[in-house]
Amino acid sequence: MPWQIVHVPDKPPSSPELSTVDVLASVIEPKLANTLVRKLNQICPLENLRHVKRVQKRSVEGKVELSVILCRQNEHESLCAGMPNDVLQLASTYQLSPYKTKVAKYAALSKEEWKEQSKLWPTSYHPSTIPYEVTGFAEEESQLIVKYMKFAMRLMTTPNGKVVNAAVIVDPLGGKIIASGNDQTLFRLPTNETISNCINGSEQSATTFSFQHGGDSLGNIPEDSKSKLLPCDFSRVSCMYPWRWTEPRSDNGKEKCDGNFSWHPLRHATLVSIENAAARDRQLFPCLEYQNNLPLRNGVCDCSENNPIKRQKIQLSENAGVISEDASPENLPSEVLRPYLCTGFDIYILWEPCVMCAMALVHQRIRRIFYAFPNPIAGALGSVYNLQGEKSLNHHYSVFRIQIPEE
Amino acid sequence: MYTFSYLILRTFQISGTKTMSDTASILSFMELALKQAKLALDRLEVPVGCVIVEKGMVIASGSNRTSETRNATRHAEMEAIDILMEQWQMEGLNFEQVAQRFSTCDLYVTCEPCIMCAAALSIIGIREVYYGCANDKFGGCGSILPLHEGASLGFSSTSSKARAFKCTGGILSAEAVALLRSFYEQGNPNAPKPHRQVRASQFQLGIGSSVDH
Repeated sequence: MPWQIVHVPDKPPSSPELSTVDVLASVIEPKLANTLVRKLNQICPLENLRHVKRVQKRSVEGKVELSVILCRQNEHESLCAGMPNDVLQLASTYQLSPYKTKVAKYAALSKEEWKEQSKLWPTSYHPSTIPYEVTGFAEEESQLIVKYMKFAMRLMTTPNGKVVNAAVIVDPLGGKIIASGNDQTLFRLPTNETISNCINGSEQSATTFSFQHGGDSLGNIPEDSKSKLLPCDFSRVSCMYPWRWTEPRSDNGKEKCDGNFSWHPLRHATLVSIENAAARDRQLFPCLEYQNNLPLRNGVCDCSENNPIKRQKIQLSENAGVISEDASPENLPSEVLRPYLCTGFDIYILWEPCVMCAMALVHQRIRRIFYAFPNPIAGALGSVYNLQGEKSLNHHYSVFRIQIPEE
Repeated sequence: MYTFSYLILRTFQISGTKTMSDTASILSFMELALKQAKLALDRLEVPVGCVIVEKGMVIASGSNRTSETRNATRHAEMEAIDILMEQWQMEGLNFEQVAQRFSTCDLYVTCEPCIMCAAALSIIGIREVYYGCANDKFGGCGSILPLHEGASLGFSSTSSKARAFKCTGGILSAEAVALLRSFYEQGNPNAPKPHRQVRASQFQLGIGSSVDH
């Protein structure tokens, strides 16, 4: 089985109510089917209902009966009031008798949903092309996604073989790793400092961890890392067991540390990686004005304005509004690329985040979340909660699950 | 300024079992949280502040530092919790002792904890939360998700049972709202471009001139 990237829908797939729209349909003579469908597609194409099939085929008393959708029917309108003239004319020419019926409003997100909605009226189901399931990742991007997830997998095992959650924040446009982190709820991993330092260091040259466009600098990831995944002890995965820190254990939490904490019940991999991303942001884009407690001008860090070249380029980017995708990021000064939080960045997490981490990613404006393993105990992106479908939030990300092949 | 007697009455409505001195101390702790929020406003941060109280004493306080740190998770609650985590580890407390301490602590925060903070408060096992205004967009103590109820997730092991905490809202909420309003009226200097009403001409002027320090 290859690696698969599956969209995790905003709504639970088995939503109890099927949303529908009304259409006008009519039973037709089977021999007229071709002619009528061709004409109807011309004069009244089913805009926004492309998933709905024009013709329904039923077996009534052993005979095949065909019905065709004439047009959409607005609510509260009498039967033929909403019919376009062309359709009315067609109906009278072929002596059709329109009736109102319901069809599914949206394309099915799952096979189950498709089966359900087809009971109303046949629809088509294309797992690869339906709008929400953006498996429309180009081959190149899919490969990069798998590579980043493999990178995250490297961070999930502690030196003494314990498994924890790990996260990697990536700038997909620039093709580089912004920050990473792993769980520090029970202990702090000695490897973590090395990793983040390494990444911070590489930012200056922006080469070591840059592997865009098929570059193979991740070739040092052991290919067999995935085969060691299952079975193993997941009890230290913080998002899965957020309250484990309160349980009695042999280690008493009095380990020595050089940082502020040797452990911390809230330092889940996601929060650690967000903190590392913020630290990188402050380091790469220091803002003198802020330190002097002066307001930022229009939210842009103006610390570079004494440099005329940089000033010009800031202006350039501001006039453009956003950095367009085809502008090559390498050629722009770093100040232009200063992100607002993690806008436009993706995060790769081994386990589906808990509600604390999922909300933290809303706050930090992450663009896409890729996780490998669902978290049936406390997962907030499909398993227990569906935070990505929470309409009241001010930011929404897309969520994907990466299915890692078992070997 | 607010009318003190009115607020006492209102607080009684919220939690009828409180004695007069309880209510007075709740109000005075919320005043301290509001002071923290004002400090955040002075630093051009979203003005939310909090204090953590143990045995009638404020043992930590915090205010929003999301702009300064460029880390949108640095809410007042997280700041205050980190102060305690650092201090208690320096004192050599272990997991069990830290959990025990948090279970005797109450939080006073000017705005209903967001979903992230409510989950965090449940994870650390706080005893009780008092908040000012409701958080209609992100609230994790009932407005959007009722995380303070410690939703049982269908697993019997202790580690997966979410901790509930008692939660009381509406305390000095007018003051909390007034602070937030004054912040949003002056405009969030750190909001992303498209969300702000900035006239292009103003920006062009700004970029060419130098800053007076």
